[in-house]
Amino acid sequence: MIASNQDRKRFLSWGMVLASLALTGSCATMSGGGKESAAAAAPAQSHEVRSVSQQMLNAAADDENNWIHPNKDYTQTRYSKAAQINTGNVAKLRPAFVFQTAVVESMETSPIVVDGVMFLTTSYDHVYAADAATGQELWHYKHPMGSTTTFCCGPNNRGVAVAGNKLFLGTLDAKLVALDSKTGKPIWTADVADPEKGYSETMAPAVIDGKVLIGTNGGEYGIRGFVKAYDAETGKLLWTFYTIPDRGSEGVWATADLTGRDMHRNIAAEKAQLAKGRKFEATLGGGVWMTPAVDLKSRTIFFVVGNPSPDLYGAERPGDNLYTDAMVAVDLDSGAYKWHSQYIAHDVWDLDAASPPILVDAKDKDGNVIPAVIHGGKTGHVYVHDRKDGKLIRFSEAMVPQEGVWTLPTPQGARMALGANGGVEWSPMAFSPKTNFAYAVNLIQPMTYHVEATAYPDGKLWLGGAFKTIPTEPQTGNVTAVDVNTGKIAWQAKTDQPMIGGISATGGDLVFAGEGNGLFKAYDAKTGKVLWSFQCGAGVNAPPVTYIVDGKQYVAVAAGGNTQINFKRGNSVFVFALPE
Amino acid sequence: MSLDPRRGAVFAALLVVFMPGGLASQVDNSQQVQIEAGRKKAQYCSGCHGADGNSELTDYPILAGQTTRYTYLQLKDYKSGRRTDDMMNAVAARLEKQDMVDLAAYYAAQRPKGPRFQAGEASLPFKPDPARVDAGRKKSDEVLCTMCHLGEFAGQNEVPRAAGQHPEYVIKELKAFKTGARTNDAGTMSSVSKTLSDEDIVNLAHYLASL
Repeated sequence: MIASNQDRKRFLSWGMVLASLALTGSCATMSGGGKESAAAAAPAQSHEVRSVSQQMLNAAADDENNWIHPNKDYTQTRYSKAAQINTGNVAKLRPAFVFQTAVVESMETSPIVVDGVMFLTTSYDHVYAADAATGQELWHYKHPMGSTTTFCCGPNNRGVAVAGNKLFLGTLDAKLVALDSKTGKPIWTADVADPEKGYSETMAPAVIDGKVLIGTNGGEYGIRGFVKAYDAETGKLLWTFYTIPDRGSEGVWATADLTGRDMHRNIAAEKAQLAKGRKFEATLGGGVWMTPAVDLKSRTIFFVVGNPSPDLYGAERPGDNLYTDAMVAVDLDSGAYKWHSQYIAHDVWDLDAASPPILVDAKDKDGNVIPAVIHGGKTGHVYVHDRKDGKLIRFSEAMVPQEGVWTLPTPQGARMALGANGGVEWSPMAFSPKTNFAYAVNLIQPMTYHVEATAYPDGKLWLGGAFKTIPTEPQTGNVTAVDVNTGKIAWQAKTDQPMIGGISATGGDLVFAGEGNGLFKAYDAKTGKVLWSFQCGAGVNAPPVTYIVDGKQYVAVAAGGNTQINFKRGNSVFVFALPE
Repeated sequence: MSLDPRRGAVFAALLVVFMPGGLASQVDNSQQVQIEAGRKKAQYCSGCHGADGNSELTDYPILAGQTTRYTYLQLKDYKSGRRTDDMMNAVAARLEKQDMVDLAAYYAAQRPKGPRFQAGEASLPFKPDPARVDAGRKKSDEVLCTMCHLGEFAGQNEVPRAAGQHPEYVIKELKAFKTGARTNDAGTMSSVSKTLSDEDIVNLAHYLASL
């Protein structure tokens, strides 16, 4: 039955192709190599790859048909107004098709959908274009990986960015590649950093006004983190913002974290170490794992910076280790520093900041609604900042247990209920303007933290110790809704698995999130009640997206499992729709 | 069996000189050249590690299928003395960077044939104990091994493939990390192995042998 449907579609579309060729008078191209032209035209069934204008990118928040930014729009809400699928009918949701890739490994991709065409990525930097209503593959790009790659936590890729006729892909061998969105052919490639030293790319870049913005992984290798801007046309480097400043990384010698809890730092010992004058800034870490948010009005970008290197051994990196574990605001056009707000100074737990910031309107302390920026921390708190200066307005109730915070790591291991993966890992949060709730997925993994004094190993994994789970303590997770105006938890749904991958919200008053055990669930955005679930057969550890093609709403999510938590691997993107 | 690794290096140098088109621009070609150069150079290593990197001496690691980055960095560490072993330090002292690159490429391209026990002619395929495999898997999950070693211990980059390795070698190395005899791991394995009991180590060795 499926075959006959496809045949019928192919027949129809062939008719359309022939008709259009006749109309445009381009039959001549057929004579040169009829077979080739036919092969090239065949994939273009009902939907063709279209160009994406800056106006479309700017207006993405209101565009319910498309999902053209990694996190929906420049504010990164992962909220779509699409409401055909809603609390009333979501129980009927069922698979429309499954897109199988050739790569069975961890999938963290957030698909991009433009006018009925989906662009998705896999581990090891494959990119596919597929018809977003039928699943028919249009093209497949496999990045020619360099001989040296150095990366932590899985050979992941979290998706492409799109602008004009180009897609932008960061790769494990630390390159930025521009692809022709119609053909998947590379247009230019830029070397972002040296993979020998531990730099790699897994994030989806952001693209705005001809600039491609990309950070770097590598905080587990002793890199010096950055965000770079490249010319989208040529691949030329425009500016670099280093997440480790040339001077002053010692900061203010903060004794408490941003929530006010004592971190048990030995400031005197750190100052003595600093006085020795040993340089460590070039290996201090500070990766930027996820896509920056962009404020179009103030032309500012916002991103969070990862952990200092080495992760657990802090003795030889005295000071606050700015701007690690912080949110940073930078001028879009020049890359100049605007402000930072550090969550944890001198982190020795790898409890860094990874989940991408979201720009929202939220109440300040006086109850006035102001432009704010929020971040879901590995600490298990949602932080609400004033967007103009970074000042913390409030932090949410803890979404996960906080026992033992901040116990210092020991050689034999010291326990904290807060595990090194979070709280909220890299998983993007969502924000619904209908509820004013931020939605976060959390891990609950009590761990022991072990420190091991280690010198910089020049391109090898450099944790300065290890963290381990505790066999007698269960590992679980939750989905949590936080009211950004009060910091109160509005609802919380427990899950059997630690949650990693992200979440999305819709105008149908739904939030969607997947689990390591293969379940993909829809929740009532107001109450957290589970309204629907589907077993995908492999870990659903990627952020879902939703879009409309030919008037019909779809929900898509990758089910490829996860390296970091070792959830069952798969290779597919599942796409769901309501029955006709 | 050639005992002079420099002969291999000369051969590789000749290959480089006479290869049409040069090396730098063509990745596939250069990899193939490395593998072929490595094949010659590996003759010297075959006495202990087997002709194709599948050693029959079970306290010497299987190198077949190992990641190029790991083999390359280990050879570099043997040369610099970061990793110590009387024989390997002496061997690596005479290797140049290109030799290490070629050897790593060669071994990565070989197919691992699975773990064995007992050395030499008495060598037999190793049969893991199911109870130990199960206990080893649980310990591995708890210690988060695959966060770095990748699923099924396939290895990635500088983090080695440990799947299908000889148990005797695995036990030897985990104990070396635990006692501090081996320290070229940048602290991670030292820290991980610190809380492993001897029983845990044997169980992990069986689990890895089962993969």
